[in-house]
Amino acid sequence: MHPLEKQFEKIKKENRLGLMTHVVVGYPNLETTRELVKTMSESGADYIELQIPFSDPVGDGPTIREANTAALENGVCVHDAFILADRLTHEDAIATSLLFMTYFNIVLTYGIEKFCHDAGKAGIVGLIIPDYPLEAESHEHLESEAEKNNLVLIRFASLDSTEERLKKLGEKAEGFVYCFSTRGTTGVRSDIDGGIQPALALVKKYFQVPAAVGFGISNAEQIRTLKGSADMVVVGSALVKACESGGKEGVRKKMEELVIALK
Amino acid sequence: MKKLFFKTSYDADPFGYFGEFGSRYVPESLIPALDELTKAYEAAKSDPIFEQELLDLYQHYSGRPTPLYFAKNLTEKLGGAKIYLKNEGLNHTGAHKINHCLGQGLLAKRMGKKRLIAETGAGQHGLATATVAAKFGFECTVYMGAVDVVRQRPNVFWIEQLGAKVVPVEFGTKRLKDAVMAALQDWIAHPNDAYYLLGSALGPHPYPSMVRDFQSIVGLEVKEQLLAAEGKLPDYLIACVGGGSNAIGIFNAFLDDINVKMIGAEAGGKGTGKIGDHAARLQGQGRLGVVEGYKSFFLTNSDGQLEPTHSVSAGLDYSGIGPEHARLFKDGRVNYHAVTDSEVLTAFKLLAKTEGIFPALESSHAVAEATKLAPTLSKDKIIVVNISGRGDKDIFIVADALGDTNWKEFLKTKAN
Ligand SMILES: Cc1ncc(COP(=O)(O)O)c(C=O)c1O
Repeated sequence: MHPLEKQFEKIKKENRLGLMTHVVVGYPNLETTRELVKTMSESGADYIELQIPFSDPVGDGPTIREANTAALENGVCVHDAFILADRLTHEDAIATSLLFMTYFNIVLTYGIEKFCHDAGKAGIVGLIIPDYPLEAESHEHLESEAEKNNLVLIRFASLDSTEERLKKLGEKAEGFVYCFSTRGTTGVRSDIDGGIQPALALVKKYFQVPAAVGFGISNAEQIRTLKGSADMVVVGSALVKACESGGKEGVRKKMEELVIALK
Repeated sequence: MKKLFFKTSYDADPFGYFGEFGSRYVPESLIPALDELTKAYEAAKSDPIFEQELLDLYQHYSGRPTPLYFAKNLTEKLGGAKIYLKNEGLNHTGAHKINHCLGQGLLAKRMGKKRLIAETGAGQHGLATATVAAKFGFECTVYMGAVDVVRQRPNVFWIEQLGAKVVPVEFGTKRLKDAVMAALQDWIAHPNDAYYLLGSALGPHPYPSMVRDFQSIVGLEVKEQLLAAEGKLPDYLIACVGGGSNAIGIFNAFLDDINVKMIGAEAGGKGTGKIGDHAARLQGQGRLGVVEGYKSFFLTNSDGQLEPTHSVSAGLDYSGIGPEHARLFKDGRVNYHAVTDSEVLTAFKLLAKTEGIFPALESSHAVAEATKLAPTLSKDKIIVVNISGRGDKDIFIVADALGDTNWKEFLKTKAN
C-alpha cells in the first residue's frame, strides 16, 4: 500500500479529518524549515508539503508569495529542497509523509525524469504541481515518471469544475484530490465559501480517493464546518504566519488548535 | 468583405500547442474559465456578424486601415532596399494594442462579462483596454508594475481618466511579468464575472491564437496595400517583439508566403552578454520553460527562476515570448535579432528627422533593425517595418535619455 493511502486508513480508523500542512523550503531559513517540519510531524500532521520556492508562484497569495521571494533572496536553490527532504527522511526518520509542492517550471528545468527519481530517493511520496493540468501529460509525461518512482501526482478540483471535467480528473486519480475551497489564491480567510459543500458532493461522486480541502483554511471553526463533507484539510498560509509571529512555538500552538478540531 | 480569420501551417493544434510550445499550464481553477473562453471565441469566429462588427470598429472607431507609407527619405538616406512603414501609431490610442482590445472587448460583451482585467507594461495595452471598457461600459482594473507606473506616468493618468483603476504591482521585479501574475490572480479569484483581456500573443491557450487573430488585420492590410503600391509582396517584414502581438499581427498573413523573410527585433538593452541587462529571450540565454500559463523560452536561471530584464522600452521589458514565436524561431521561419538601447535611440531620432514620425521606443527597435538591413540589400528589395505605436508616450524617457536640459528645467518649474 502506498504511504499516502496507508496514512488515510489510519485517519479513517480514528474517525477524524486528516491534516496536511505546508512549509516553504528555506523560509525563514533552511535550518528552521527542518525544525518546523519536525514540529508539525510531532504535533500530528498527517502529510507535509515542502514547497520549493519559485519566482512567480501564480497560485499563491501574499503570505506564501513573500515567503517564496524571501527564500530565494536567501539564496535557496532547488537542490536544497532535495537535501532537506533527504535529511528529514534519512537522518530525522520523520514519520509523516512528505510531498513536494512547486510550480511546473521548477520540475521542467530540473528535468522531469531526474526530478521524480531524485525526489523518490529523498523519501518524497507525492507531488503537488498546481500549474500542471491533466492535458499536459501527453506532452510532458510527468505523471508516468512520478509513478515509476512510486510518487503520486496529486490532482485538483475547483468550485467551477464541470461534471464532465471532474469525471476525467477522477479517473485514475491516486492519493487524494486537492480541492480549492475558494476562488482565488492561497492566503488566510476567515470563513468558508458556501459553494464548497455542493462542489465537494460532486467531487465525491467522481473520485474514489479522499478529498482534501485547501486554500484559506486557517482556524478550528472552518475545519469543523468541513466535517462530513471533506476527508482532509490543508493549512498553509496560517502556519507561515504563525511562524512569523511566534516561531517554532507559534507553529506548535497553531498545530494544537488545528489538530483538536480534526476530531 | 475582408476575411479576418484564416489558418496557416504554423497554427496551434486543437489542444493549443504550437509544436512543443504553448497550451495551458494553469491551476485547475482557471480551466473552466479557459474552456468557456475557448468555446465563446470559436463561436464568435465563425459568426459573420461578429466579424462584421469588429471590422466596423476597426474602421470607424480606430481609424483603420492604417497607412502603409513609403519612407522615401529614409530609404534614400540608407541607400538600399525600399522601406515602407506600416503606421499602427495612427490607430486610436496610438498603438496596435487597440486591435486585440476591440476584438476581446466585443467578445467579453458577447459573453456577458461585467469587468475587464488587464496587465500593462508601457501602458499602451492598459490604455487601449480602458478605452474599450469606457466604450462598451465595462468596469476595468489595470495591473501595472510599480516601476512601469513611474516610467509611463502619462498613460497612467489617461487610463484613470477613462474610468479604469490602475493597481501598481509592488512584488517581484515590479514590471510586466509581475503585472501579468497579478492580473491572472485577480482572474483566478473572479473567473465568472471578469474577462481577462490579455495584452499580447501569450498566456494560456486560447490567448496566443486569439490575440494573433485580432492582430492579423495588420498583415492583411499590408498585403493589399503593398500589392496596390508595388504589385508584389515584401521581401522582408520587421517588427519588434515583446510578448509578440504586433509582430505576429504583421507576420501572420505572410507566414505561408515562403519568399517573405521576417525578422523579430528583441530588446537588447545594454547588450546581450549578461543576463539581467536585456530582454532578448532568443539570443542564447533563454531557456525552455513554463511560466504564466504557457510553454516557451524565458530568461531564467539554472533552477528555472525568472531573471530580471532590462530595456529602455517598458513594452519589451519582459522575460517571456509568445509561444508561436518560439515555434517560428525553432522552425527557422522567423529570425530574431537583438537591438540595444542606444541603437534604439539613434533610430528614434533618425525617423523623427528624416520622416517626421516619432516611433514608440518599442517600435524603434524594428526601425533600428531596418537601418542595419536596408543598406545590405539592393534597391529593388522591399522592407516593411511595423511601427507598432507612436512615440508621444515616451517623452519623459526620450528627453531623459537625450539629456535635454530645457525639458528638465520645464519639469522642475512644473513641479513647483
Ligand atoms: C507600441 C508598442 N509596441 C510593441 C509592444 C510590445 O508588445 P508586443 O510584442 O505584444 O507587440 C508594446 C507593448 O506595450 C507597445 O506598446
